[in-house]
Amino acid sequence: MIKKTFRVEDMTCSNCAMKLESLEDTLEGVKEINASYHRLEMVIEYDETKLTEEQIIAAVKKKGYQAVPLP
Amino acid sequence: MPKHQKTTLDPVILLAAGIGLLTLAIVLLISQNMGGQGISIGSGSASLMVAFVTGLTTGGLSCLAVQGGLLASSLAHQIEQDVLAHAPASHPKKHAKKTEAVSAQRTNAALPILLFLAAKLVAYTLLGALLGWLGSFLALSPLTRAFLMIAIGVFMVGNALRMFNVHPIFRYFSIEPPKFITRYIRRTAKGTDTFTPLFLGFLTVFIPCGVTQAMMATALGTGSAFMGAALMFAFTLGTSPVFFIVAYLTTELGARLEKFFMRFVAVVVLILGLVTLDGGLNLMGSPYSFTNFARAWTTTASDSGTPASAPSADLTLTVRNDGYFPQTLVAAADQPVVLNLVTHQTYSCSRDFVIPDLNFYQLLPDTGTVQVNIPAQPAGTKMFFTCSMGMYTGQIIFE
Repeated sequence: MIKKTFRVEDMTCSNCAMKLESLEDTLEGVKEINASYHRLEMVIEYDETKLTEEQIIAAVKKKGYQAVPLP
Repeated sequence: MPKHQKTTLDPVILLAAGIGLLTLAIVLLISQNMGGQGISIGSGSASLMVAFVTGLTTGGLSCLAVQGGLLASSLAHQIEQDVLAHAPASHPKKHAKKTEAVSAQRTNAALPILLFLAAKLVAYTLLGALLGWLGSFLALSPLTRAFLMIAIGVFMVGNALRMFNVHPIFRYFSIEPPKFITRYIRRTAKGTDTFTPLFLGFLTVFIPCGVTQAMMATALGTGSAFMGAALMFAFTLGTSPVFFIVAYLTTELGARLEKFFMRFVAVVVLILGLVTLDGGLNLMGSPYSFTNFARAWTTTASDSGTPASAPSADLTLTVRNDGYFPQTLVAAADQPVVLNLVTHQTYSCSRDFVIPDLNFYQLLPDTGTVQVNIPAQPAGTKMFFTCSMGMYTGQIIFE
């Protein structure tokens, strides 16, 4: 399990954070997602053997947002 | 009944539902105007009509901005299921099926929205009763209400600036519900049965929009479970037509409308926030409210702005449904003054009369005269008066 933080600049309200957190239920290998509209960030804890960073970015894009991994 | 055999609603039923909501609204308005007693709230809060109109004009938009996503996520899942039921994935003719899918989306969107709104109406009415009941244990003075209004006004202006993306700091004006609540709501929203939109409608009490929060504060100020419930019922009912129409269209028009819509809501919330802030300042008796600035600026020619007569120790103020007349009275300085407040079939919040400097507050009779004894004031004093919402104002100048 690793924990990675993404910057999601195009969140516009708390509901966006809720939408991003819903990936928790659809992305295989995800343990937990904490998205914050206040910080425009999404912290995701996932199993790197089942899920890649690119897949996460693609899933976020499907929700209508751009995720940029933070170092 | 299997999910894919769900009954669909045709546009006639949709129209009927819309008319039903509007009829209820009109009945409420008529009962407000014809009821003789009006439905004014004892401890100086908004009338039900003001609550309803607030809901109709801004509450619906603001609520939709906050709670619309919740409804949309429920609808989206439900619609997805319906579309799948109408257009099996194995079918190759995507274009033809798209038309069917859109049609299915239109017809199936109405029922969950109605259920959602009905549950929301019940939930907020109960919440209003609870707040009113809690308020009965608190004695909110006009000054306390003024501070409350100023806080709400600042909150709303901050939220509007957040929506305009003016500065990152304004994002903190958006209240993020606790994760366990959002997680629970999100998982509930996946259901496709009748219970889901009903339950989600109830859950909206946990994510009230700025305007709703303002109305909740007002319900608290009523100090009565019945009036608190009635106020929230009127307000939520007012929000329903806009909520219904836009939610229904949004499911069809998607995110583009939402983005346009958010800017519109931001403008409305900004205006409402400034009005609330102004009301709070008026209720404090502050000369620095927008209204008092404007009055000071325009005291030259208008009838309402000019003094009614020469300085007098016996003043008469007509309290009408649309405010106080004249708005500026001239009183004799250095001697006690009697202010006669005359009402005649007055049912608006102008009846809830406040003179902040004297800490005077009274709910006037709908028809009659009430005398207020004002102690001697030095020349040059400006004493402001207002309704309990800070909407209608005026001043007494001592010369």
